Amino acid sequence: MRKGAQRVSGVLARGHLEAHHGAGGRRGEHVASTAAVATPSALGCARACLAALWGRVMPPLVVLENVLQALTAGLLMGSIYGLMCVGLGLIYGVMRVINFAQGDFLMLGMYATLYVFGWLELSQFLGPYLGPVVAALLGAVVLYGFGVVLHRTLLARVTGMRVVGTESEGHYPQLMLTLGMSLIIANGGLIAFGSMPQNIRTPLSASAWEIGPLIGHDLSVFLNKARSVGCIVSVLVALGLHLFISRSRLGKTLRAAADNPEAATYMGINVDTAYRVAFALGSALTAIAGGLVATYYPFQPYVGLEFVIIMYAGVVLGGFGSIVGAFWGGLTIGLVQQLSTLVLPVQLQNAAIFVVFLGIVLVRPEGLFGRNAERI
Amino acid sequence: MLSIESLTVAYGGLTALVDVSVDVGEGQFIAIVGPNGAGKTTLFKAISGIVRPLSGSVTFDGKDLLAVPPAERAHLGIAHVPEGRQVFKSLTVLENLEMGAHAIRGRAEWKRNLAQIVELFPVLAERRDQLAGTLSGGEQQMLSIGRGLASSPRVLMLDEPSMGLAPTIADQIFERIEKIHRESKITILLVEQRVAEALESCDRGYVLESGRVVLEGVHDTLIRDERVKRAYLGM
Amino acid sequence: MMPRTIGRDVGLISIVASVYLAASMLIDNQYYQLMLTLVPIWAILGIAWNVFSGYSGMVSFGHASFFGLGAYTVTLLFVKVDLSPWFGIPIGMVVGVIAGALIGWPTFRLRGHYFALAMLAYPLALLYIFEWLGYQEVSLPMKREAPAAFLQFKDYRWYVGIAVVMLVAAMASALKIERSRFGLSLLAIKQNEPAAEAAGINTRAWKMRAIMVSGAIAAGVGGFYAVVLLVVTPPSVFGMLTSAQALIVTLFGGVATVWGPVVGAAILIPLSEVLNAELGDKLPGIQGVVFGVAIVLVILLAPEGIVPHLREALRRRRGAHAGSAPATVVSAAVPQPPISTGHAHRTVSKEVVLTVERISRAFGGLQAVEDVSFDVHKGEVLGIIGPNGAGKTTLFNVLNGFIPPHAGRVAWANENLVGLRPNAICRRGIGRTFQVVRPFVRMTVLHNVVVGAFVAAPDDAKAIALAREALARVGMADRATVLAGRLTNVELRLMELGRALASRPQLLLLDEPLAGLGSQEVERMLAVLDALAKSGMTIVIIEHTMQAMVRLADRFVVLDHGRMLAQGKPEAVTKDPSVIEAYLGKRWMKHAQH
Repeated sequence: MRKGAQRVSGVLARGHLEAHHGAGGRRGEHVASTAAVATPSALGCARACLAALWGRVMPPLVVLENVLQALTAGLLMGSIYGLMCVGLGLIYGVMRVINFAQGDFLMLGMYATLYVFGWLELSQFLGPYLGPVVAALLGAVVLYGFGVVLHRTLLARVTGMRVVGTESEGHYPQLMLTLGMSLIIANGGLIAFGSMPQNIRTPLSASAWEIGPLIGHDLSVFLNKARSVGCIVSVLVALGLHLFISRSRLGKTLRAAADNPEAATYMGINVDTAYRVAFALGSALTAIAGGLVATYYPFQPYVGLEFVIIMYAGVVLGGFGSIVGAFWGGLTIGLVQQLSTLVLPVQLQNAAIFVVFLGIVLVRPEGLFGRNAERI
Repeated sequence: MLSIESLTVAYGGLTALVDVSVDVGEGQFIAIVGPNGAGKTTLFKAISGIVRPLSGSVTFDGKDLLAVPPAERAHLGIAHVPEGRQVFKSLTVLENLEMGAHAIRGRAEWKRNLAQIVELFPVLAERRDQLAGTLSGGEQQMLSIGRGLASSPRVLMLDEPSMGLAPTIADQIFERIEKIHRESKITILLVEQRVAEALESCDRGYVLESGRVVLEGVHDTLIRDERVKRAYLGM
Repeated sequence: MMPRTIGRDVGLISIVASVYLAASMLIDNQYYQLMLTLVPIWAILGIAWNVFSGYSGMVSFGHASFFGLGAYTVTLLFVKVDLSPWFGIPIGMVVGVIAGALIGWPTFRLRGHYFALAMLAYPLALLYIFEWLGYQEVSLPMKREAPAAFLQFKDYRWYVGIAVVMLVAAMASALKIERSRFGLSLLAIKQNEPAAEAAGINTRAWKMRAIMVSGAIAAGVGGFYAVVLLVVTPPSVFGMLTSAQALIVTLFGGVATVWGPVVGAAILIPLSEVLNAELGDKLPGIQGVVFGVAIVLVILLAPEGIVPHLREALRRRRGAHAGSAPATVVSAAVPQPPISTGHAHRTVSKEVVLTVERISRAFGGLQAVEDVSFDVHKGEVLGIIGPNGAGKTTLFNVLNGFIPPHAGRVAWANENLVGLRPNAICRRGIGRTFQVVRPFVRMTVLHNVVVGAFVAAPDDAKAIALAREALARVGMADRATVLAGRLTNVELRLMELGRALASRPQLLLLDEPLAGLGSQEVERMLAVLDALAKSGMTIVIIEHTMQAMVRLADRFVVLDHGRMLAQGKPEAVTKDPSVIEAYLGKRWMKHAQH
């Protein structure tokens, strides 16, 4: 009787953003100091005082350790979020399109990485460190092509020079189109890949490097290996993109097309092509980030929804229009997310990101680095 | 070299140009003057391809320009220095000039062009690494013209270079434009509201009013023509 | 506003509703009965979305907030306090109104993309909050005795019936809104918000009203949804797909129309449900794909939606048959310019009505307007002239309230206008036209103009009368029922002037009303303006077409680079050397002397 209803509600997205707890973070036990029995000797007195002092120092040490752990986890994951945001930021920065499907490109990147890793048996040839990374990069190449096709067939019809003269009801055709794309990709993914959560299994996902102990026998910080590799790769790729955009001729052409499409056309720059490159590249970058996330986080076709708000919060925080800003924005969101695990229960951690997002949008829409705050 | 015949353009819901014909011969300096709203900028936009005409033709070197996609026209040697400068504000001065050299003709001669541009507008060398958005109006205009020159153009189209500039700066800009024409022999198509400056240097001029050519002639005739004054001041 | 067609629409709604009800009574299968219930539910949510986003153009991706709040209100009241949903749903609607106000108030300060993203965040945040509160899955208890008192029925057809009744109510509200000043004001905001503000429409107030009504409807239907499904989970009511479905159903069917969401729901819901039932095992997620494909297709092929697309197609076919009047004809009745046009035939009073005192405004480093002062006398035509970029439009924007000056004041009727919003300035008797006219192309001239009359007439009938009067004053009375899309350039300008006149202003600010007009059209416009001035209207006009201005204006104020260069009678000003230099250049003077 209710099956129909279940079927109806079943299809609705279940977006549960899971908290990322620091892997292997050691939570020390607070040992209550035993009050020393007062003995008349000075030594005994000193010992008693030390013991009492130690009793007071211990809890802060635990807190400190947790904080440091959260900070490091935040930096590691924040870097990967930063790369995701750079992809979105590139698309918005050049085309002024809010791409709802960015989360789904992330998802496709994860699956592309999974399949490349599996089919080419990269773990055998390249080992657990390089294997997933190369898979992610190759997966990104696939996503680049996918982005080109999507732009050519769909997006180009509602963006670009064709539309510049005809200001129809704002930019809402683009928003709607990317919303439609998102639905098709996410649900198409469900059909193609099935709903079983997947994972890229390497020994790295569950192991960590220890930094420490830093104070006596206590206070160590653990760096999950998979995330650390992801962090390094993200930073390198983001840096590479930054250099590309700022130094290379093609990068300058993209910036010019973003800055003033009409003047760019006067220079002989094909703005539609520039948009296509930006879109495909932005998709590819987010896909790399996806591949990196896939090494430590289980994913399924609706995983995009979990990251969409992170990406938007990061880009808005960094400032729409600034690619460097997008990276810092993503990094900050990662820190916020991890630090919030210290004080908030699981479900509210995600709400914390929303609060930050709404806060920026309402208080300082141009973010940290952005220009064009209220530009439509 | 550039021939516009019976061009009719509707833009933004209004008929901006009606049956306009302009002839630009190689090496000439042609001025198009007219009050605001006369359709001068629309003419340039139609030549550059941003706006499609309803009827009429534009030929460049005998070939139909309207069949060429807008982004290709710069590569043919048509440089458009737009109204309001339109520099790439978030790029540096040097990067703006590099974008000017995106056109194929400009790439081969980059070093030589750059030297020429810097000679014409030394301030651009001083400010080469500054963001173009931070330049003054006059400097931006110089940058915009430099950007046009960087493409090694065969025809340089300038849309109201004096707009919004203080009179002394505007005078400087006009002097440079004249110098460019004298020394490089580039064909120049100048649209201006500052009638005297435009008509003084031109070989031939056209007066546009409400989208139509109302007067056309060589420099000497126009400069003394009372009708031009009337077109502007209504007296 | 259009009483005749409301009757026809109500009739159509009743017929369709009755047919639907009758047909559903014949269905036995419970799964199909559920589907028949879902179609009206999603149609109602679509209508709720439409009332706000469709008409105002502010795209909301967050209507799931209201839907979910309604659902949870009904559920929690039922579970905790044993309150019947018959009461729960109205209470839910109140919650929806409050939520609309709370969400709208801060979010309306945002524009475009930022608004859409913020709206997206609200339901997702609520989703997490409700999960944290422990409401992952709340079931409505089954009532064995008197189930009907708790809106519970064994026979699903009761639900269908109630759903249809709710839908009819929603459609009736939407119809009422669309045809009243509510709908027109929202459309005006969507079309051109600054122009709407300048015409006296309090845009903030209307947006708040729209979101509150929208929230109420969405919450109400959310409550009903909970009752039908008997179980509520955060993702099912606050999830992205809920907002997306409301939006897609409306866009597919036809945005800003009453029937759009209904048609969209009637097509998409059964389609996706049936496909899911048949193929759901092999192709899970087929429902999402259907919606995604629907919106992609509609955006690419028929961006306004199916209903408007069909209406347009029908209209075109009808138009082709009837051989309607071509749009570009220069109307034969062009009035010959009366010999008595122009300032030479008017006398101007000495009474000063508007005083502009030392207005300055800079943008970044550029001083757009600097220390400009002048008086405007009652009944005069004052021309603000100057070369391009002189600061004329900035001056108007300051006078009109769109941007605040950095210094100076504007005195009108013993009040300083600086700091007032444009609609408040309009209320005080100052009207304005804009250079770029953006009409409602598919509405009649009368409807385009009536938007300007709302500020002067509290009831709709009076507003229509004022609109007709305004049209008569500009000589467009005979074009009142023509669709605005068919007007010529000059007629569009006159219509725009009519809209400004509909609020019965005492002073008009006209921004380049003659731009782009041919000489005959200029004459027509001049005649109208002259007649207005003769009737006592004070007009301040920015223009470039000098011959015309020289005849029309009593005085000129000349601006150059933001400063006042000269002011006085036209003959004097046009001979002023500094003015000639500003327009024609220094070298002209040199040549002119030869």
